[in-house]
Amino acid sequence: MQKKDKNIILQNLKESSAEWINGQGPLSDIVISSRIRLARNVEGIPFSPRAEQAELKNIFEFSQQIVEKDSLFKDSNLLLLDELTPLESQFLVEKHLISLYHAQESHSYRGCIFNQKETLSIMVNEEDHFRIQYLLSGLQLKNIWKLINKIDDEIGKKVTYAFSEKEGYLTSCPTNVGTGMRASIMLHLPALLMVNGINDVRKAISKIGYVVRGFYGEGTEVMGSLFQVSNQITLGLSEEEIIDNLEKVNQQIINKEQKAREELLFNSKNQLEDQAWRAYGILSSARIISSPEAMELLSKLRFGVGLGIIPYPNLGTLNKLMLLIQPAYLQMLTGKDLDPLNRDLHRAALIRNEINH
Amino acid sequence: MLCQICKKKEAIITFTKIAGGQKIEIHLCNDCASVYSDKFSIFPLPQFNINDLLAGLLNAIDLYQKEGGVIPGKKIECSNCHLTYDKFKQSGKLGCSVCYHDFREQLIPLLRRLHGNSEHVGKIPRQSKGKLNKIRKIKQLKKELQELVLKEEYEKAAKTRDEILKLEGVLKKKNAKKG
Repeated sequence: MQKKDKNIILQNLKESSAEWINGQGPLSDIVISSRIRLARNVEGIPFSPRAEQAELKNIFEFSQQIVEKDSLFKDSNLLLLDELTPLESQFLVEKHLISLYHAQESHSYRGCIFNQKETLSIMVNEEDHFRIQYLLSGLQLKNIWKLINKIDDEIGKKVTYAFSEKEGYLTSCPTNVGTGMRASIMLHLPALLMVNGINDVRKAISKIGYVVRGFYGEGTEVMGSLFQVSNQITLGLSEEEIIDNLEKVNQQIINKEQKAREELLFNSKNQLEDQAWRAYGILSSARIISSPEAMELLSKLRFGVGLGIIPYPNLGTLNKLMLLIQPAYLQMLTGKDLDPLNRDLHRAALIRNEINH
Repeated sequence: MLCQICKKKEAIITFTKIAGGQKIEIHLCNDCASVYSDKFSIFPLPQFNINDLLAGLLNAIDLYQKEGGVIPGKKIECSNCHLTYDKFKQSGKLGCSVCYHDFREQLIPLLRRLHGNSEHVGKIPRQSKGKLNKIRKIKQLKKELQELVLKEEYEKAAKTRDEILKLEGVLKKKNAKKG
């Protein structure tokens, strides 16, 4: 495969929409996406933050080789983050292709491999040598495990992983050791939030040993009624058990959300209709809009579409907008740095354009 | 108290986060707090909560171990990457695979607290498959053996015992070759 120029790769990324936000997966009205991430390191090389320059380079060159030669990665690209501007890196964060940490870390030879559909991404030289991540739309953890397991095996044929009999896959942070696996599901829970309030929802989920995060990952606040639920335990359970437990917990939350939706539809259908159409009204006509306001309104509109009380736009468009309205994404699309007011202007125009289609 | 980000100025703002049933407080000075809450409206806080949680747990473990007397074999520096234990406590990140071996004494109680467990039962990479599958098989057979003895099914128990001995023999040979 010919080595592609970073500008061409980024240009394609700007124009493409990831498959995992298409709103077509199982239970998409409530589950936005499912994700599994595996942390892997190569034996004999210190974890990336403590590795020497030459060692980081080795890991990066290995990644280059698999992208160029391995058929599993034939439609994949590799970006060297050292060559990107802060805005471009932040854009990859907002696309959910890399973590905020990966974008901001200072050591060199940090990379990101991703396939055309943006379902697979591998962070190279994050805090672990490889962080393999797979994302699909709706509730599909079992499918993802099959897919990511294959990719893991393929890489494992070419390198010897850092692994110990007792502790399993060895990782930079002891919170990931064992399976090195973090599975997570992103949920849209507007009804539960309306009926119970945010703290009750958080409490209920975190009590059973699962972490709740905002849409934009670790350390972010809950916005637009979106919650990320993931496993905390990575050691002492098999991958299948972790997935099974997480799906069970999610099924409980989904059932609760469905019940709350039925209740609200029965008791306050007029108010829900009003709320959804008002959101539509503002989003389709506003000239200036901040990202928190846009998120809240998109969430209300998504809720209305999920309930079937408003026929358009489709879930995929709404999911996509939740990503597009972020600051770096917006600036990549317009092709220039924008001050906050101009961002709000462009954001409003972008939303109008997508929604009035 | 000093700000947990710049570690220079006095912390005056406290962020509280509840994750995994644990309440985590982060103390920041005015400057750092404004940087982290204004930088991007939707990225209010970076991911240092996990480190905070780890540091807290490690301190608790240290305290507990001190009270319990001396720990034999406790190392303060990794023999391979030279990461010190104190540095690990600060960052929450280990330096290399050998750290897991060298800081074992402190890590085992940490892993138990983090995961409720300290032994891997999940996927095994190709390179270790043969050996580890045998170890897991022996464990399972030993369990079965105990049950069979309790049920007084001695004939079956004898067969299981033979199987265990055979597997253990294979493993010993392999180890001897390596050594």
